[in-house]
Amino acid sequence: MAYLIHLAILFVIYAILGISLNLVVGYTGLLSVTHAAFFGIGAYIVAILGMQFGLNFFVGLLLGVVVAGIISFLIGFVLSRLGGDYYVLGTVGFNYIVWSVLLNWQEVTRGPLGIPGISRPKLFGLDFTSNLAFLFLAVIILGAIYVFSQSIVTSSFGRVLKAIREDERAINVFGYNTLYYKLTIFMIAAAMAAIAGSLFASYITFISPATFMVMESVFILAIVILGGFANLKGSLLGALFLIFLPEALRFVGFTEDIAAQMRQAVYGLLLVVLMLYRPQGLLGEYKL
Amino acid sequence: MDLIMQFIINSLIAGATYTLVTLGFNLVYGATKFVNMFHGVLAAVGGYTVFFFTQTIGIDLWVSIIVGIIGAGLVGFLADRFIFSTLRIKKASNLVMFIASLGAFIVLQAVLAMVFTSQFQSIVHSVDSPRVYEIGSAAITHIQLLIIITALFSSFGLVLLLRFTMFGKAVKAISDDEEVAKIIGIDTNKIIGYVFFIGSAIAGIAGILIGFDTGIQPTMGLAILLEGATASIIGGIGNLYGGIAGSFLLGFVENFGIWKIPSEWKGAITFSVLIIFLIFRPQGIFKK
Repeated sequence: MAYLIHLAILFVIYAILGISLNLVVGYTGLLSVTHAAFFGIGAYIVAILGMQFGLNFFVGLLLGVVVAGIISFLIGFVLSRLGGDYYVLGTVGFNYIVWSVLLNWQEVTRGPLGIPGISRPKLFGLDFTSNLAFLFLAVIILGAIYVFSQSIVTSSFGRVLKAIREDERAINVFGYNTLYYKLTIFMIAAAMAAIAGSLFASYITFISPATFMVMESVFILAIVILGGFANLKGSLLGALFLIFLPEALRFVGFTEDIAAQMRQAVYGLLLVVLMLYRPQGLLGEYKL
Repeated sequence: MDLIMQFIINSLIAGATYTLVTLGFNLVYGATKFVNMFHGVLAAVGGYTVFFFTQTIGIDLWVSIIVGIIGAGLVGFLADRFIFSTLRIKKASNLVMFIASLGAFIVLQAVLAMVFTSQFQSIVHSVDSPRVYEIGSAAITHIQLLIIITALFSSFGLVLLLRFTMFGKAVKAISDDEEVAKIIGIDTNKIIGYVFFIGSAIAGIAGILIGFDTGIQPTMGLAILLEGATASIIGGIGNLYGGIAGSFLLGFVENFGIWKIPSEWKGAITFSVLIIFLIFRPQGIFKK
């Protein structure tokens, strides 16, 4: 049971990452491979502020959202002018730079040693130290993010996003400032990823730069692609499958190390097979 | 002064290494117009094939190297036959091709890690120290000199092949317009298959040389690919000559950058250069 709660918490964190990335990739058609950077920024801010200044988790979470918002504004402003391959490579480059900062800015991030002993959230006497209570908190946050995302994609704002995806030049001609729309959704998604990061840091209680590499962004992208482009329920499904898959592999009897590689092999293979036979993903409504 | 000499030599070594990666990357990009992530793991395939044949089976080094080069070429060729050619027939977008190549990359990387473990390994069996040549007070190892010579010969050979053979003319026709090339009777699928073989074999050469110089690891492909892609962007993606110039430019920027900045920031320098080029000169230094 304790083990199931653990998996459920991981599922919730990755579902938040999948849903938020889907707003950018699925709904707006921007193939971003840098979500792990904002995931990491959120995690490190909660960890550093909690350890150095004993700041409350929720304050750290909000600050993480603000910082991720500002950074995503700056880099999004730059990257939003790019299209196709160039956008992809630019986002990969940015993820690498953020990882490099986490790794090398040792006075602040402790570099490869990582930050241990991050505390669990407390608020007005409510204590989320136990895993069950933490799961409860995480599910509430996921629910809020899901409802918020759903309201974005069904709003007129969301319709403009889909129009940008289908034909950016046409919607530009109609007088919409597409840069504003692309930038806004990129910032919203980055802020959500930072929330997932703060949950991750305080749940695992230890973070290191290795978690926030380019390959993690690819993993989050795989959640979106598997579940389906432009379908929020799909991202829940994708996260569910890719979080429980390695556990299933472990139960089959593979060792931990081989199971980790098997997980990689299976989700890599899934990407290939999906691109060949179902490029929109399982529940997807849009093909790249 | 001596320091400058060593920096120049290091820049040339880095430039030659990137050249070996960009040659194949640009060749494939020119013909297929997608960012082929799979190209990176082919370097690891080359390195591990040599490792396997020399150390596990104990075959002669030169025979192993030839097997490694052909092996990498074949793996690239097969990836085209089973994945990319199918996607081309389906008229898949370049981003779908990109994701499929990323998936195939992850699968092969995981397989290498399962077979050879994810540890860093050395191809060189003997413990004696490598031969070192002195130029003034600067030094270059035998294998590093070999990297520069191989890069020169590979570039020269590929240019001759593309300039003066029917095959080269067919590749140029496909790069300009695949549909038209097909109409005038070029078997585009066959030619692109050869392009994949040649490009992948050169990636194998790169991986083998890097393996001899520093060592091999299943995850080596991503960094190699991203550095190669950055060099390609600098020179203009798909442009063979530009790629060579971009490689040496990147080599010089990185190595002279770490003169003033601590060397652990080298990766961050590379990707900052990438993003700067994407913003200000996405078509590369040579406009095409």
